[in-house]
Amino acid sequence: MNLRSLLYLLLVCTMLLVSSCSQRPVYKKYQTVFQVGDQQEWAGKDWNDMDWEKRIILVPDGQVFWSRTKIEILKAPESLHLYGLQLHVYGEYEVFWDGVLIGKNGNPGQEGVLPPEGKMWATFSIPIHLTAEGEHLLSIRSSLYYFPDHAGIDELKIDYYDDILTDRLIESSYMHLFAGAFLIASFYFLFLFLSNKKEYATLIFSVSCFLFFVLILAEFSKAYMPIHYSMHIIRLRIIGILMLGISFLIPLYFSKQFPFPKRKLLLTIYAGVLLYIFLSKHVFELTANNMAFSMWLFSFGIVVFGVYKKLKGARLVLLTVLLSVPIGFVTPFNKSLFAGFSLILLGMFYLLSLRIKEQRLAYENSLVQSSRLRLELLKKNIQPHFLMNTLTSLIDWVEESPKKGVLFIEALAKEFDLFNQIENQTLIPIAQEIVLCRTHLEIMEYRKEINYSWEEEGIDLEQEIPPGILHTLLENGITHSLPLEDNSIKFKLIFESNNDYKCYTFLTFARAVREVTSNREEGTGLKYIKARLTESYHSQWEFTSEPTNHGWKNTVKIYT
Amino acid sequence: MNILIVEDESRIAKRIERMTRDIFGNALKSLKHINTLQEALRYIENNALDIVLLDLNLNGDNGFDMLTTVVSESFHTIVISANKNQAITAFEYGVLDFVPKPFNRDRLQQAFNRAIKKEKTENNKIKLLAIKKRGRILLIPIEDVLYIKGAGVYTELFLANGKKELHDKSLEKLEQLLSHTFDRIHKSYLVKISEVKGIIIKPGSKYMAELKNATLIPIGRTKYKDIKAKWL
Repeated sequence: MNLRSLLYLLLVCTMLLVSSCSQRPVYKKYQTVFQVGDQQEWAGKDWNDMDWEKRIILVPDGQVFWSRTKIEILKAPESLHLYGLQLHVYGEYEVFWDGVLIGKNGNPGQEGVLPPEGKMWATFSIPIHLTAEGEHLLSIRSSLYYFPDHAGIDELKIDYYDDILTDRLIESSYMHLFAGAFLIASFYFLFLFLSNKKEYATLIFSVSCFLFFVLILAEFSKAYMPIHYSMHIIRLRIIGILMLGISFLIPLYFSKQFPFPKRKLLLTIYAGVLLYIFLSKHVFELTANNMAFSMWLFSFGIVVFGVYKKLKGARLVLLTVLLSVPIGFVTPFNKSLFAGFSLILLGMFYLLSLRIKEQRLAYENSLVQSSRLRLELLKKNIQPHFLMNTLTSLIDWVEESPKKGVLFIEALAKEFDLFNQIENQTLIPIAQEIVLCRTHLEIMEYRKEINYSWEEEGIDLEQEIPPGILHTLLENGITHSLPLEDNSIKFKLIFESNNDYKCYTFLTFARAVREVTSNREEGTGLKYIKARLTESYHSQWEFTSEPTNHGWKNTVKIYT
Repeated sequence: MNILIVEDESRIAKRIERMTRDIFGNALKSLKHINTLQEALRYIENNALDIVLLDLNLNGDNGFDMLTTVVSESFHTIVISANKNQAITAFEYGVLDFVPKPFNRDRLQQAFNRAIKKEKTENNKIKLLAIKKRGRILLIPIEDVLYIKGAGVYTELFLANGKKELHDKSLEKLEQLLSHTFDRIHKSYLVKISEVKGIIIKPGSKYMAELKNATLIPIGRTKYKDIKAKWL
């Protein structure tokens, strides 16, 4: 899947989440009241529950207790269509509607003896003759063996039975589609990271996507996975841990993309805050909310810093971060969380695509640079100043002294051959480079009729060097020097190495052509040398070039 | 003939020297070879020369610095260079010929012939005249020059802005370089053809060329026929 279609999918899912349908309810729920004890009459519609408690804190030892909730049906169902009742209630229970048993979820009162049975989210159909417009009574007989302090109805919904069942499936199928997108993104970026292990941002993004994928599963699997209420805490724990992870990773990701001062300290403090929220005992949703809010706040800060520093992509990301706020307000909690998160992930996605583009451009650039250097090396022998002067001298030798002319041609052939050998290398043995220099001197001797000599000191033949560097220094030395009194020019190459660096010193013993002007513009030769050194050693090199009283001195230092 | 060779390739310099001696024979009064720019400039200052043979790439220096100086002098300059790309610029500055390397004796002789036989060049590329003024070189665009008057060994350039400048080259030498746009209408005058409005005949069979700015310039009696045939 390419990035663009993934982006579209994310957008569509976000829209779906935001615009999730909200119909007018067909019922009205009144205050629920509770009573510990067990009397079958309490199921009846007419029992007087005036003295029942509005809340009960604790029902120990799996005792049976009852709850009664008055419900007004505002609109009777269409004929042949049943209403259903959906409950999110802790405990094992039996459900009565107007005194009639309409469903059973586990074994209330026998939890201690029987194995756990039933699920957190249960749906019951209500007999059609009991759903006329007007007042009805929902009574629940339950016990709370595992969480004696969780008495109450967390969620209650009455609608057409079919709709209640299908709506949840539709919702979760969309969310799973959504989750799948993040799973794929997570794998994609994991592989990207594996192919380039320096790019931690890709890894963080991949892990965030994966956590988000698991988070969606954990949140929405409840529609089809029966979870006993004693196990529900595990689901909540998982969601909490996932939230903790995501809330830390998102700002960490932004901090990689928009580096700010004192990053480590601030991130550590932030991690501390998150842990504090996570570990302190709160209602689950509040904890999640607080983590999401801290995540948002910190990310917002980082992105604003990025915008302030005019970093690439920061403005669009700021927009997504800001956009996640109104969405958080208009949608209910579990949806706002996902809509907000996915928007922010979208922003992260955008940033990553920007970085990948940058990397691609840099890579292409380096290719261009390499082929340019290659051309530069090839050009040495065909650039007119070298070629035409050589040919002119050659013609003269052939006309005046054919035998020497032949030797000249041989030397020339040798240099061309050497260039052909090294033309596509980035590093060549130092011996090869030295042969190249000696051959060049031979050619120049025929042209300039100066006695050139070459000396070496401490050369380690195992060493390698970018092609054409010494050759370029030699060319410069020949061009810018006049022979000494005895019509000679000497070049000397010295190699030294220690634990920290390797150093080549290239000396020219000659008269300078003229008084040295200090601000001489850097010639193409020196640019070539520097580009070659950068190509092979990045910034781990140093190059100097300066006049001395005997002529000229160049040093090339390569740090190890 | 006094000739200077400025060339840092010793073998090539010797080749030029040999061929030059061969071409001029006894007519050669002096022949000097110099391989650095500074030394060449000093030599030019202190010696009378007829031709300078100049390589534009001396010891990694940009020969065009030198070129502006030599073309302002009284002698003709012939560039001998490995880099054909420089030919156009060299002609723009007003060199007599550009001999690309590698060259043979015939090509060199052809270049010398232009100087000796005062052949007109087919140089239609010349754009600038370099003059020496208060110790500096000034480049005057050819399009600013209306006409040129010979004044002994020097010449006077009359410019469109009414100013007059001195050039070290003789009228003959400038005629050689400028033959594409200028005509010799009098033994002392070179006139830009495009500036001439008409010919006025004065009493006593005196012919004058009238320029667009109303300046009148005499036309030599011997030249009149040719000029008339050419212009009308």
